[in-house]
Amino acid sequence: MMDSRITTITLDRVIPAVFETSEVAASEVWLRHIKLCRPESYLVEAASGMGKSSLCSFIYGARNDYHGTIRLDGRDIRSFTPGELAALRRSHLAIVPQELRLFGSLTAIENVMVKNRLTDRYDETTIRRMFDRLGIASRTDSPVSRMSLGQQQRVAVIRALCQPFDFILLDEPVSHLDADSNAAVAALIGETAHANDASVVITSIGNRLALDTDKTIRL
Amino acid sequence: MNLVAKILRQNISIAQFAAYTLASLVGLAIIMTAVKFYCDLTSQPPAAGDKMIGADYIVISRRVPLLAAFRQGDAPAFSRDDIADIEARPWVRSVGAFTNADFDIYASVSLGGRGLSTALFFESIPDRYIDITPEGWDFDPANPSVPVIISKDYLTLYNFGFAASRGLPQLSEEMISQIPITLTLRGNGHTDTIAGRIAGFSSRLNTIAVPEAFMTAANKRYGSGRPADPSRLIVEVTDPADPAIRHYLDSHDIEAAGDSGSGRTGRIASAITTVASAVGAVIACLALIIVSLSIFLLVRKNRQAIGDLIFLGYTASAVSTYYKHLIITINICVFASATAIMLVASQLWHDTITAIGLAGASPLSAIAVGAAVTAIITVVNTITLSHLTAKS
Repeated sequence: MMDSRITTITLDRVIPAVFETSEVAASEVWLRHIKLCRPESYLVEAASGMGKSSLCSFIYGARNDYHGTIRLDGRDIRSFTPGELAALRRSHLAIVPQELRLFGSLTAIENVMVKNRLTDRYDETTIRRMFDRLGIASRTDSPVSRMSLGQQQRVAVIRALCQPFDFILLDEPVSHLDADSNAAVAALIGETAHANDASVVITSIGNRLALDTDKTIRL
Repeated sequence: MNLVAKILRQNISIAQFAAYTLASLVGLAIIMTAVKFYCDLTSQPPAAGDKMIGADYIVISRRVPLLAAFRQGDAPAFSRDDIADIEARPWVRSVGAFTNADFDIYASVSLGGRGLSTALFFESIPDRYIDITPEGWDFDPANPSVPVIISKDYLTLYNFGFAASRGLPQLSEEMISQIPITLTLRGNGHTDTIAGRIAGFSSRLNTIAVPEAFMTAANKRYGSGRPADPSRLIVEVTDPADPAIRHYLDSHDIEAAGDSGSGRTGRIASAITTVASAVGAVIACLALIIVSLSIFLLVRKNRQAIGDLIFLGYTASAVSTYYKHLIITINICVFASATAIMLVASQLWHDTITAIGLAGASPLSAIAVGAAVTAIITVVNTITLSHLTAKS
């Protein structure tokens, strides 16, 4: 179990198992040694099919189908037990996966509460205020299955913020958002990450989160 | 409202869980009822006294040798050493000796003016080996009247063999007990006539038995005075099915006869319980397979939701808790219902058990067995769940 905060994530010669070495010759991530340091923020840019979502899943410990080593403060993510991974996901790593992974049978606020009751991070008023800030206050109590993709993305972002974190991984969080919503989401993420003294790692193929990043990495 | 429960409740098949509930209820109820039935049938009578129906007895005698017919007198008998040897066997609780009458006996009855007379024999054994205690089962020399117990088989032979083929009336036990018998005892220079009556019918003793007090007094008065070894023994055994008994008897050229019905009852009870428990166990196993498959299907169908919860930071055990609570609740309800069924079912044979003189057993053994089976099923269920959830 990790009690202290995570300051670095290092990737050492990591490559998805399905990739050929020749495919990733131009990559600044695959098969390289790179280090993500808190609280710097990163934009990972890539063409489609270069493994952005895979990268997020590898770092989050949700997938193991890669070669090389990913270390959180020097510890191989593969060595984490299921219990340690669960603790890691409650207090150190937040994520907005590209496929969102919301529960279709629950309302928007319930989807957030499923996470928040694990971490007990905010009260319901604060959470509703976030819905308001992201322009989906009217849909708070609607089933997510009846919401648009853009609205669902915002629910997933709020859910990801309902926990303490050292790194937040955002896998194309604004792919379905207009400029205004993008700005609102970016502001909320920026503020929360700053409050957590955390790093933001954003992936993008096109529509970028309107958040300034310290470094851009080409995948 | 528990949100995790709300997510995981999806895809629960009511039909599958109803089938599991029903199957495990039937299985468990059969097992518990069979155990209760066995406990009741092997229970001791309310007052451990004269009626020892729960105990097991065998009557043994020496095998009659081929040439015995050509030898006079001495029937093959048990010496004092033989008896001591039998008493020393671990399967023996106690040994009682049959005492033969050492004098001549003639019995005559008067039926509707027609007199019937026959030579007879008497035997006696200590009272505690007799399965019935008829009224007036003693002998008072001052007012001599001899109560006699005859084997139930004799009456059966007469009623269903002799009477039926000869067109004679069948006789009930009560009727026969009313018939006055005149006994003529002769020996040692004395001849006396005394009254007798049939006091009861024994299913254990294959003989004509009189009270030991009478036999002692009569042998002294009419007998030759030479001490005779008993030719038959009644042995109270721990378990008549013990193969050591058969082995011992065979190796010592001893025959067993007159097994009591209660010994058979015990074996039948044991057999019924074994068969019923086996059926119950098979059904319980099938129920276990049903629920394991149901859990498997449920976890498969909800794999995405379970995976998403773990993705959010839930532990596998926290996720499976909901299903575990569901299974434990069902199993507890099944156990409670099976206990109720067992208690109701045991009422069905309660009167019969009481009628044959048994006290009936406490249901605790059956409940303990049911609780153990429930616990095993629950543990298997929860292990299956944890295993499957962790793999999601």
